[in-house]
Amino acid sequence: MIAAELTVVSQASWPEPDDRELPPVPGFILSSFNPLVAEVADRCLRRHYGEPPLTPERGGAVAMIIVSASGDAVSADHVARTVDAGSRVGPLFFFQSVPNAIAGHVAARWGLGGPVVCLCPTGDPRANGLAQAAALIEDGDASAALVVLVEQESQVDGGPAGAAAVLVCTEGQ
Amino acid sequence: MEEVGLAGLAAVSALGRGAEAQLAGALAGTAPFTTVQRFPIERHRVKVAATLPDAGTLSDELADVIDQACTQAGLTHDERAATPLMLAVHAFPDAPRVSLDRWRTPAELAESLSGTVGTGPVARVYTSACVSGSTAVAEAAGMIRTGRAERVVVAGGYLVESDQFALFDAGRTLATDGAVRPFSVGRTGLLLGDAVAAVVLESVAVTRRRARTELAQLVGWGRAGDAFHAVQPHPQGDGMARAISAALRRAGIEPDALGYVNAHGTGTPYSDTAEAAALHRALGPAAARIPISSTKATHGHALEASALIELVVTVLAMRAGKLPVNAGFLAPDEDCELNVITSGPRSVNSDHALSVNAAFGGANTALVVKTP
Repeated sequence: MIAAELTVVSQASWPEPDDRELPPVPGFILSSFNPLVAEVADRCLRRHYGEPPLTPERGGAVAMIIVSASGDAVSADHVARTVDAGSRVGPLFFFQSVPNAIAGHVAARWGLGGPVVCLCPTGDPRANGLAQAAALIEDGDASAALVVLVEQESQVDGGPAGAAAVLVCTEGQ
Repeated sequence: MEEVGLAGLAAVSALGRGAEAQLAGALAGTAPFTTVQRFPIERHRVKVAATLPDAGTLSDELADVIDQACTQAGLTHDERAATPLMLAVHAFPDAPRVSLDRWRTPAELAESLSGTVGTGPVARVYTSACVSGSTAVAEAAGMIRTGRAERVVVAGGYLVESDQFALFDAGRTLATDGAVRPFSVGRTGLLLGDAVAAVVLESVAVTRRRARTELAQLVGWGRAGDAFHAVQPHPQGDGMARAISAALRRAGIEPDALGYVNAHGTGTPYSDTAEAAALHRALGPAAARIPISSTKATHGHALEASALIELVVTVLAMRAGKLPVNAGFLAPDEDCELNVITSGPRSVNSDHALSVNAAFGGANTALVVKTP
C-alpha cells in the first residue's frame, strides 16, 4: 500500500501524561475541537521542526490534513440550539463553522503551504489520513503532511475528547 | 500514466434540474435569488438565497445526481458497482437535530448513498468547506492517473438550511443588495445557493474501450495552502497562484492556452481582490486577457458543492462553445483587472478552461479541463 511508503517523523497526542488543561486558541470559543487540533499539531511539529514558523523552503509544501468523524459537534450543536431558540448566533461561530479554519490557523502559525484537506473517515481514521497524505505526496502537491485525528466522542453531553497528530513524509525527505 | 476524463455529469440547483438547465441559466445570467421560504428568516439581516422550490432531501438529491451521472456515463450495473464513491458535504444533514443516540456523520450518508445507488465502496468523504468537491476531483484524478482506480464517481451537495444561513448572516458575508457581483465595484458579499452535482471521472482509455467518448478531459489539477490566516485568503493570492501553477504544469500548457476561467468569485470585496491578484501572479499578462466569470452570481455559493457545480458548468460551456456571463456586474474594480464577461454569452476560442476555488483555512484548488 502507498501509505506504507511513508515515514513517520513525529507524533503527538492529547492527552499525554501530565496533561491537565487544554490551552485555548484565541478567536476559537466554547468547543474543545479547535484547541485539540492546535495543541496536537503544535506538539507534533515542534518535536520535529523546533520553533515556528518554518521557512518557505521547509514548510511551503507541507500539507495539513484533519480527519474527524464528529467534526466540531459541540459548535454545531450550539448553533442549532441557538437557531431553534430564535436567537442570533455569535459571529465567532461563523469562523469556526468548518474544520478548515483551525487547519488554516495551524498552517499560518507554522508556515505550512501545502494543501489543506479535511476528511470524515470511512474506516480507520489513521489509515484514511495516511492514505490521503500519501496520495498528496505522490501526486506532487505536498512534500510532507501533518495528519491530525480528532474526535469529540461524547460531544453533545460534554464527554471526553481526544486528538492525535502524525507528521509524515516519504523516505529520504 | 493514464489520461483522466469526465464520462458523465449531472447537477441540480435553483437554475433548474439537469445539467443543461445549469448551462442555460449560467449563459443567460439568470439570478434566481429570492426570499427564503424554507425556514424562518425574519431575524436575519439578509433574507435571500437561490433555492430550488421543489428540492428533496439532500440524500435524495445526491442519489439522483449520482444515478444520472452514472447513467450518462453508460455504466453497466457491474461497472457501477465497481466504481468507488467520493462525497463532498458539510455534515450529515441536520446532524445536531437527528443525532439522538449518537452523532451522525457524513460517512454514514456516503455509505447509505453507496447502497441506494449501487456504487462501489466509499473511497473518501471530504469536509473541506468550499474546496471539498474540487479536492475530491483532484484526488480521484490522481487515483485514475496512477492506475489505482479506473473510475471514480464524485458527488457533492449543499441545500440552503437554517444553521449555515444563520452563520453566514452572523459573519456579515452575505450580500446586502440581493445580488452577487463578482469582481465588480459595489459588490457587497456572497449569497448562498442550492447545488447538488456528480461527475464520473474515468480513464480515457477505459471510456473509449467501452465505446464511449469522454465529455472532457481533466488534464490538470493543483492544491495549495495560503499559510496566512484561519479564514482570510492571502491578500496576494499566494496559495491560489501556486495551485493554478501546479494545475497548468500538470496539464502541460501555458496560461495563453486557456480560453476561459471559471472563477471562485464569491462577490466578497476582500476575497475577489485576492483572487484577482492570484490570477495575475499565476497567469501573468494572460490574466487580463482570458475571459473570466463567476457563476456564483447565478447559482449562488453552494459551499461544499460549489466546485462541482462550477466544474459541470465549465465543461458544458466549453462544449457548447459559449461562456457564461458574470451576472450582477456594475462596473470594473481597479483592484480586479480581469477580462470579466459582462455581457454574453461570449464565444470561446480555446479548448482549455480553468476552474478555481478557495475556502477557509487558506485552502485553494485549481482544475484544468480540455474539451473536444
